[in-house]
Amino acid sequence: MAEIGHGGKEIVERIMEPSEAKEKIKGLKQVPIRSQIANEVIGISYGFFSPLEGFMGKADLDSVCKKMRLANGIVWSIPILFDMSEAELSDYGIKEGDSIVLTYQDNPFALFEVEEIYEYDKKEICQAVYGTTEDKHPGCARTYAYKDKFLGGKITLVNRPKINPPFDPYFIPPLEMRKRFKEKGWVRIVAHQTRNVPHTGHEWLMKGAWLQTYGELSIEKPIVGVLVNAIIGEKRKGDYIDEAIILCQDELRKAGYFGDHNHMTSLTFWDMRYAGPKEAVFHAILRTNLGLTHHMYGRDHAGVGTYYGPYDAHKLLESVKDELGITPVYSMNWLYCPHCGEVTSEGLCNHRDEWQKFSGTVIRSIVMDGVKPPRLIFRPEVFDLVMECAEKYGFGSPFVTDEYLEKRTPVFSVEPLE
Amino acid sequence: MAEERYPINIWVNEERYEKLREAGLADLCEEMLAGLKVIRVYANDAQKDKILKAFPTAKFDSATTKSIELLPKDVKDKMFDLIVQKKSVEILDEFLSNY
Ligand SMILES: [Zn+2]
Repeated sequence: MAEIGHGGKEIVERIMEPSEAKEKIKGLKQVPIRSQIANEVIGISYGFFSPLEGFMGKADLDSVCKKMRLANGIVWSIPILFDMSEAELSDYGIKEGDSIVLTYQDNPFALFEVEEIYEYDKKEICQAVYGTTEDKHPGCARTYAYKDKFLGGKITLVNRPKINPPFDPYFIPPLEMRKRFKEKGWVRIVAHQTRNVPHTGHEWLMKGAWLQTYGELSIEKPIVGVLVNAIIGEKRKGDYIDEAIILCQDELRKAGYFGDHNHMTSLTFWDMRYAGPKEAVFHAILRTNLGLTHHMYGRDHAGVGTYYGPYDAHKLLESVKDELGITPVYSMNWLYCPHCGEVTSEGLCNHRDEWQKFSGTVIRSIVMDGVKPPRLIFRPEVFDLVMECAEKYGFGSPFVTDEYLEKRTPVFSVEPLE
Repeated sequence: MAEERYPINIWVNEERYEKLREAGLADLCEEMLAGLKVIRVYANDAQKDKILKAFPTAKFDSATTKSIELLPKDVKDKMFDLIVQKKSVEILDEFLSNY
């Protein structure tokens, strides 16, 4: 049976078998790509970005900027672009109509059928997508870093990435993910977007969203799940290391705060744009393709600085809700109330003067001091695992350092095409 | 108007608490976050700016707690030792004179 993804289109993996691939790429020009582009090649070819079949041409880009839609009318909020400089194009001798091989880590990775080479005003992209042209916005910075020409055309993976431990069990592309959900018998699944090691505030966000999602469904059998979908992409100094994020999220299930019957952890390769509302719509698209039915959104989802209001994302989602295949679930913050003696929702407890709010920053500061927080704030199993990850993967630190950036094992490898 | 003061939270585990008790300073601890003990050293505006400049990993958590967070552990250790030595949380001037 066809699996239907975002925009009502069937999800089709664009992946060639190695024997065919070896023939197809013989003699083609090889062009190395950077990690952002490699992440997007995976997004396109496994169907995370369905219905996209490749990097955007000018008509799609223009329509995304002006109407938040692809040229065919399907809602799409973030440009997916392949860039090259004029000099590179002439050095490689690439012109419209060529097929080229994209290489990553010096090995063939994907076939790119270049249909179109064009220019587009980057400032216009920034204003349309990020609502600002300031280069201190990380999404604008990423846009301005594009070289001056864009190449549009279809992508086909010729060499599956090898996902390295400990990440390998967590790479579950859309078609496989949908199978897993069926095996579990889940009829509703709510997405938790994260780039964090979970404290109990996050845990309760998930628990609250699970309750909201359960709604009117029968409770005879467990049929609602939470999918943690960690975004793995470019790291900055001071972030939690990727290994700690993915393993600690899963630890909430392993240590029994959730169970196999209601919780799963996975990852998506994506370099965050911090586009706030536009990124919220993009996350809805990603998770629709993964087979989810619901998506958690807190205040200022995927925002940065003070560029977006706390509810801007919710309003934009509302405006296209009939065209999204996923239902937004809005979350209020959770905090510790000493009077209640528990973690509670700011929408429930009224001991406002006594509330002890905790941010991710404060928790990171406690972890940095090597101090184990109380279990109501941070689960002891998660704390022990963060420290273990620091030793095993982080060169002594649970947070990204220069040494980690330089020496870590990549999350995935592209090996020679056999 | 009183000058704004921004706390630096020095989190107190058992080891640190033991040192405080021995020095007769257990009273310096406040309880924060479900009973987690903390000593708070307060910075004024100028001190806050100096700290954020001297330690680039440090972050002013403007949204939730209005505190200065994410100072490296060895910096916190030094501050803690100075508190025990001076038997006071008024240590920032002396501490920052080295930076
Ligand atoms: Zn209460």
